[in-house]
Amino acid sequence: MKKVIIIRYAEMYLKGKNRGFFENAFVNNIHRSLRGYEYELIRQSGRYLICGFEDGYSAEIIEKLKKVFGLHSLSLAYEVDSDMDSIFEAAKLVAKPTGTFKVISHRGDKTYPLTSMDISRKLGGMLLAENHTLTVDVHAPSFVVYVDIREQGKALVFGDMIEGANGMPVGTAGKGLLLISGGIDSPVAGHMMAKRGMNVEGLHFHSYPYTNMQAKQKVIDLATVLSEYTCGMHLYTVSVTHIQEAIHEKCKPQLMITLLRRFMFRIAERHAKKIGAQCLVTGESLGQVASQTIEGMTSSNSVVEDLPVLRPLVGFDKSEIIERSVKIGTYDISILPYEDCCTVFLPDYPAIRPTLKEILAEEAKLDVEGLIAQAFDTIEKIKI
Amino acid sequence: MMIYLDNAATTKPNLQAVERARVYLTDNFYNPSALYKEGFAMQNDIKKARSALLSFVANEREFEWVFTSCGTESDNHAVFTFAKRGNAVTAEGEHSAIENSFKELQNRGVEVRKAPLEKDGSVNVEKLLSLIDEKTSFVSVMHVNNETGAINDINAIAKAVKQKNPRAIFHSDGVQAYGKLPVRLEKEVDLYSVSAHKIGGLKGVGGLIKRKSLVLSPYIYGGGQEQGRRSGTENTFGIMQFAFAAEQKYAAISADFARLSSYREKFWELLDRDIFTRISSENASPYILCLSAKGLRGEILLHLANDEGLIIGTGSACSSNAKTRYSRVLKACGYDNETADGELRISFSSETTEEEVERGAQILNAVARKLKGKMN
Repeated sequence: MKKVIIIRYAEMYLKGKNRGFFENAFVNNIHRSLRGYEYELIRQSGRYLICGFEDGYSAEIIEKLKKVFGLHSLSLAYEVDSDMDSIFEAAKLVAKPTGTFKVISHRGDKTYPLTSMDISRKLGGMLLAENHTLTVDVHAPSFVVYVDIREQGKALVFGDMIEGANGMPVGTAGKGLLLISGGIDSPVAGHMMAKRGMNVEGLHFHSYPYTNMQAKQKVIDLATVLSEYTCGMHLYTVSVTHIQEAIHEKCKPQLMITLLRRFMFRIAERHAKKIGAQCLVTGESLGQVASQTIEGMTSSNSVVEDLPVLRPLVGFDKSEIIERSVKIGTYDISILPYEDCCTVFLPDYPAIRPTLKEILAEEAKLDVEGLIAQAFDTIEKIKI
Repeated sequence: MMIYLDNAATTKPNLQAVERARVYLTDNFYNPSALYKEGFAMQNDIKKARSALLSFVANEREFEWVFTSCGTESDNHAVFTFAKRGNAVTAEGEHSAIENSFKELQNRGVEVRKAPLEKDGSVNVEKLLSLIDEKTSFVSVMHVNNETGAINDINAIAKAVKQKNPRAIFHSDGVQAYGKLPVRLEKEVDLYSVSAHKIGGLKGVGGLIKRKSLVLSPYIYGGGQEQGRRSGTENTFGIMQFAFAAEQKYAAISADFARLSSYREKFWELLDRDIFTRISSENASPYILCLSAKGLRGEILLHLANDEGLIIGTGSACSSNAKTRYSRVLKACGYDNETADGELRISFSSETTEEEVERGAQILNAVARKLKGKMN
């Protein structure tokens, strides 16, 4: 029996005249995520069908599609001739071995001899006669058999609705530069922005030789998982070793993180502009660590000249962030123990509420522009 | 040209031995278990290699050699076929192959007892012997500690163990000793693990030397190779190359031992004493010099030296996990976290030249001074 995958899209149906723009991006992203598989994508009103794939790959294809933003739900359906006997054969495969059920029918082909109600009633009866452990419950069934009568004498029969990633198609909401570390939070932040349709590129700061190859590889591995949702991405890495050394040499130790973050934001904004990104995205969550207090955020924000800094996790608890990271598949990588920021220079007690005056006084001891230029000399681009 | 001083991790394959063994990759590729004469010829060649490899360290009348895939397999074979009842005794600071096998023994209900280490990484023999009683089924003490180079007199320890309990099986991990120390096994040593790639052999070949009269049940079952003790088609090329490499090593073992002792001392002489403290004792294997750059992190020095053309090892890693961060061995020797964090392991091979020793020490001094300057 031929199988097809029904794809229903999410919020895009709210769009009016520019709906085509959203749908094009959606279709491109589907093709991208299914690269390497043989299939055909057919557009129908309000949904898409994937057909022509080898039966053995259907589970893999569904897993890939579940990561495409803009997709509301999908179903694996049987495509059969639209006579009731053929529909019944497919319905037997879709039905669970026991429990309560109902049949919901829909006629795309209005010339079909039975009405939707008739189809449901008849098929329900056939299923009941076949399997005596089933009972009908039209209010709260344990499963549903869907029948969709299409043109040209064909019908689709399916059971489960598999939830998609929802959101908007990536590529429809501009481009952001994600400041990504090896931790739990930043990949989740990137995922959330991609969910709203944003193209996400990554920027990672490392301090080799104070940190090692494993730490860098960990970020590459995180970006690789994230890229399944973001439809590919580039990861840029920049060394801030010399900046940490300069701060260590000249400034108050408790301001190490505050000052370092100001450098990171400056570098990030300049790099974002270079690659055409329209905002910075960080995984900061209010009060999670000393540098993520409102004072800390104010201090790093104040060096960003034009671009907005988006912090999608700002109001999240750690447990909520962890839950999401488990769900998207980055958690197990994030908790590997490689340090991705040099802890050698970290103070025992960082400043929690640094004043801008104090920060500026310390920063004045440094050649800010020179250090930034030096950082840009170390930039590497990795295609994920 | 990169200076490679991490030979305790692995050595560069002996290319002369590779050349001599090449024929086993090209013409003599037959399965040694096959019945036709080409296969049988392989069996004979392996027999010769086996006999040579054994003869370098033990008497062929009392011992025999079982080929395995690596030192870790040899250790596992010994532990899990003999430590089945009562208690099993080992020391802190053993190689992970023993350390983690003993952890598993514990899970399987065998009581595990561990003797402490001396400051240099050798086993506190008195304490070890005090752990042995009539219920001890298995004792494992490594020959040369892979981090500090400390040598345990395993013949004497085995003898003392047998005096306390003649039925206890004595095993030693000889991976860092075989082909390096001019020592012969005495009959009280029941089992001895060996690895090829630490002396110019290839990864994927190891040996388990056993006392002949000891019945060794298989750990891997299959076609009955190695007299049924270790099934699996023989790695003919790897075995032959190992035998040729070992032959060269043993031809010069005493001369190398003396030369490398002077190299190790030279390396130490050249180091900046304001930065480095020495962990390896003078009695340790001359192939290993363990140091600590206290207050500096070993791994950072490793990367800095790497960038300057020197490859060395370390026992610690930049890990946020305190359990994996500090060398288990140095902690067992009684060193504090800071010393353990600064650990570096310089390890030589018979290929190491005097120029490499001098240049290596210079690079290490330079990068350590540079890092120290930045840290202060």
